[in-house]
Amino acid sequence: MKTATDTALRHVSALRRIGISILMLAGLLIGGTAQAVITGTTGVNFNLTAKEGYVSMGDGATIYMWGYALNGGPAQLPGPTLIVNEGDVVTVTLTNDLAEAVSITFPGQADVVTTGADSQGYLAGEAAASGGEVTYTFTASNPGTYQYHSGSNVALQIEMGLAGALVVRPNAMNQAYDSPSTAFHQEYLFFLQEMDPHIHTAVEAGETPDLTNRQAQYWMINGRSGPDTFFADGVPWLPNQPYGAMARTHPNEKVLMRVVGAGLDLHPFHTHGQNFRVIARDGRMRETIPGLSGADAGISDFTLTVAPGQTYDAIWSWEGKNLGWDIFGHAPGDPCEASAEECDPASPYYDHGKPIPVTLPEQQFLTFGGFWSGSPFLGQEGALPPGEGGLNLDGGFFYMWHSHAEEELCNYDIFPGGMMTMMIVEAPGVPIP
Amino acid sequence: MKRVYGVAIKMVLASLALVFVAGGAGADVYVQCPGDTDGDGVIDDFTDPELLAHPNAVCMHITGGDGFINMADTTVTGGARGRQLYMFGFADVTGVPPLDVIDEGTTAAWYPGPLIELDEGDEFYLSLTNVGMARRPDLDDPHTVHWHGYADASPAFDGLPDVSISIHMGGTLTYYYQANEPGTYMYHCHVEATEHMQMGMLANLYVNAAQNDLPDGTNLNGFIHHTGYEYAYNDGDGSTYYDVDFPLQLSSMDPEFHDASESTQPLPFALMNDTYAMLNGRGYPETVNTAELANTENGVVSQRENALVEANVGDKVLLRISNLSITEYFTLMSPQIPMRIVGTGARELRGTGGADLSYLTNSVNLGGGEAFDAILDTADVAPGTYFIYTSNLNFLSNNTEERGGIMTEIHINP
Repeated sequence: MKTATDTALRHVSALRRIGISILMLAGLLIGGTAQAVITGTTGVNFNLTAKEGYVSMGDGATIYMWGYALNGGPAQLPGPTLIVNEGDVVTVTLTNDLAEAVSITFPGQADVVTTGADSQGYLAGEAAASGGEVTYTFTASNPGTYQYHSGSNVALQIEMGLAGALVVRPNAMNQAYDSPSTAFHQEYLFFLQEMDPHIHTAVEAGETPDLTNRQAQYWMINGRSGPDTFFADGVPWLPNQPYGAMARTHPNEKVLMRVVGAGLDLHPFHTHGQNFRVIARDGRMRETIPGLSGADAGISDFTLTVAPGQTYDAIWSWEGKNLGWDIFGHAPGDPCEASAEECDPASPYYDHGKPIPVTLPEQQFLTFGGFWSGSPFLGQEGALPPGEGGLNLDGGFFYMWHSHAEEELCNYDIFPGGMMTMMIVEAPGVPIP
Repeated sequence: MKRVYGVAIKMVLASLALVFVAGGAGADVYVQCPGDTDGDGVIDDFTDPELLAHPNAVCMHITGGDGFINMADTTVTGGARGRQLYMFGFADVTGVPPLDVIDEGTTAAWYPGPLIELDEGDEFYLSLTNVGMARRPDLDDPHTVHWHGYADASPAFDGLPDVSISIHMGGTLTYYYQANEPGTYMYHCHVEATEHMQMGMLANLYVNAAQNDLPDGTNLNGFIHHTGYEYAYNDGDGSTYYDVDFPLQLSSMDPEFHDASESTQPLPFALMNDTYAMLNGRGYPETVNTAELANTENGVVSQRENALVEANVGDKVLLRISNLSITEYFTLMSPQIPMRIVGTGARELRGTGGADLSYLTNSVNLGGGEAFDAILDTADVAPGTYFIYTSNLNFLSNNTEERGGIMTEIHINP
C-alpha cells in the first residue's frame, strides 16, 4: 500500500541520516568490554522513585506515562534493569512522587521483607501518594531473569509503565545459571510491553480511564517501539527510554536471550535466522535431573509465546552452515576462515567454495532494504544503486526479531514499527562493542 | 532443402538460447531450475550438467499478486458461496510457459498459497514472480517469500525486505534452500507484513524426515522400520511414526480491512479486528468440503485446500499445525482424541540430552508464527466423525454467522 511504503521509506531515510551515529553511539556507550552485556544498574541498594514522564513512540507520538526512576533521575520505560548477584541481600527503596499509592512486587523472589509501608496494596506494601516511602529487602537466592512491577492498582499502573527487569547473576561468569550448559558469549534483554494511548491520555487529563476497553496500539521492546529499538542505549533524544534493543553477535557464538513478558497481552516472539533453545522459565532451569543434568529439558522453537508475567531464558546461535553455498563467498582455492566443518570435505556441512546455485536478479528488478549490504555474503559489501542500503557498515547479516502477531508491527495506524528489533550476525573479526 | 531448413532452425534456436542465457536474471519472468530447458519450472532434461551437479533439485514457480476468495458464511449471503473478499496471495504456476505467467497469474492468487512439501535433503529452487496487483494499479508493492523457521537462514533468501532484496512487478526472484531440518514450517510474504499477511500471503510448508528412506528392516532401537513408514522427525526410535499426515494452518481475516484495500481506502491497522477464523483458508463447514472452490469474482479456483482429516481405525494421524493469524492466539482442541505433541518449531520435542519432552493433551495454544506436530492415535477410537475446533469459542463463527470458523472433522473409517 502506498502510504505504508512511503512511511517505510521515510523511516529508512531517517535512519540512514543517523545510521552511522547509531553504531558509533553503540560503541561509545557500551564500549570497553569484549562482549555485549545487558545495560542496567548493579549493586545491592537501589533507590527508585515512581514518577511521571513522557515516552516517545516510533511514529513520533509523545505519551504520558508513569515509571520507576533511578536515584531521582527521569522516569524510565521500562524501570531500571536491576542487576545483582546470586546470594546478594538486595534492598530497594521506593519513593512515590505520584498522586496515588504505589508499590513494587518481585515475582519469583522469596521472603521479601517490606518495611515502612504506608498501606497495604493489592500485591505489595505501598508508599503513600505524593512523598511516601517504602523499603523492600530480599535475598536473591536463585540466578535468573525476573521482573518487578507495581503491586498497586495494577491494571492501570502496569499499563502506565511501572515495571522493570531484575537479573540475578550466578557465581560463574558468563553463564545464566550455575551450570556450564547455560554459558553464553553475548546476552540481551527483550522486555516486552504494550500500551493503549487512550488510557494514558485520559490519565494525563485527570480523567478516569476506561480500563475495561483496553486495546493496545503501541508495542515495545525495552521500552521502545520500532524503529527506535535500533538506537543505542542512552541516546539523548529518548531520555525516558534508555535501553536499546539492537543485538549483535558472531557466527557460532551463543546468545543469551532474556525475554520478559511485562505487559498485559501475550506476544509470540519470533527469531529470524535460527531456532532458539529454551534453558529456563521464570528463573528456573529446564532440567531433567535438578542440579545435575544442566539445562537439558528446554525446547527448540522459532517462536516463543511470552505471556504476561513470564520470563524465559533461551540460547540462540547462528552457524550459517549447510546452506549448499559458501556463506563467506569464498572461491574454492581460498583459505578457510570459518568453522572446521565448513572446510572439511568429509563434513555434511561442507560448503567451502561453493557458489550460490542461483543468480540474483538484476538491480532494476529489486527493492533493496536499508540493511542490505548489496552482497549475499557475510562481511562483504556489494554495489547498490545510489541512495539504497547504507545502514549495514560491516556487511553483517540482519535478522528481525519481532512479534509474529504482525498487527503489533505498527505504531498506532502506521506500519512499520512496534515490537521489533534486529539481531545482527557480524562477520568474524568485526568488533562487537 | 529440408536439411538446410533444419540447420537454420537449429541456429535460430541456438541464438534464441543465447539470448535467453544472456538475458539471465534480467529477463522478466525468469525461472531458475536445473534441467529445465523451457523456463516453466519443470525439470525436463535429466542429462543437464547443472541438474547432475544438483541431483536433489526440486523446482517450483509461484506468483505473488492479488485475487479473490469467498468466506464460508453462505447462510448470510444466501448463495453457494459466502462473502467475497479481495486478497493478496501466492499461486502455483509451475509448468506454465514463461510468456503466459503474467496473464495466468493476474488476479488469480490462492488462499492459502500453494502447499510446499519437501523431503529432507532436497535442494529447493523456488521462483517467485511478482505479477502485480491488477485490482490495485496504484500499488507497486514488491513481494518476498519468508520460509518461516528455516535454520541458519541467510538474509538473501530470508525474504525480510528491510535487510534483503524483494522482487518488483514483472520480475522473478529464485530462492534457493537446502531442506536440512524436517518438520512443520510455514511461509509468507514479509513485505509490509501486517498488510500483506492480513491480505492473505501465507501458506503451509513442511519437510519430510530422511528417516522415511531407511532400508527396509532397519532396527531403530527396537522399532523395525519398513519401506513406506513415515516419521515426523528423525527420532531414532519410531516414536514419531504416522500413517497419514495433514497440514492444518490457522489464520484469520478482517473483512473491513480487505474491503478498504479493494476500494483504495486508508487501511485500518489500528482498528484491525479479525472476524473470519479459518483452517487452511476456509471456515467451517467448507473446511470439510474436499472440492476446490472457485471465487465469485472471476471464477478462479482460489481455495484449493481443505481441512478434512480422514483415517482408518488404528492409524496414527500426524497433524502439522501452524498459526499465521496476525491478530489472534488460538487454542486448537481435539476433545475426543488426545494429541501427542511430538514437535514444536520444526524440531522434535527432545531435550539436548535426548530426553522425551513430548506430551499428551487435548489442546494446544498457538500464537502467530508457532507450529506444533501432533500425533493422534486412533487405535482405541471407534469409527465415526470427530471434531477439531478452536476453544476460543467466539471464533466458531464466520463473521456474523454462527457455527463456522476454526472447526473441522476427523473421519475415522472402519
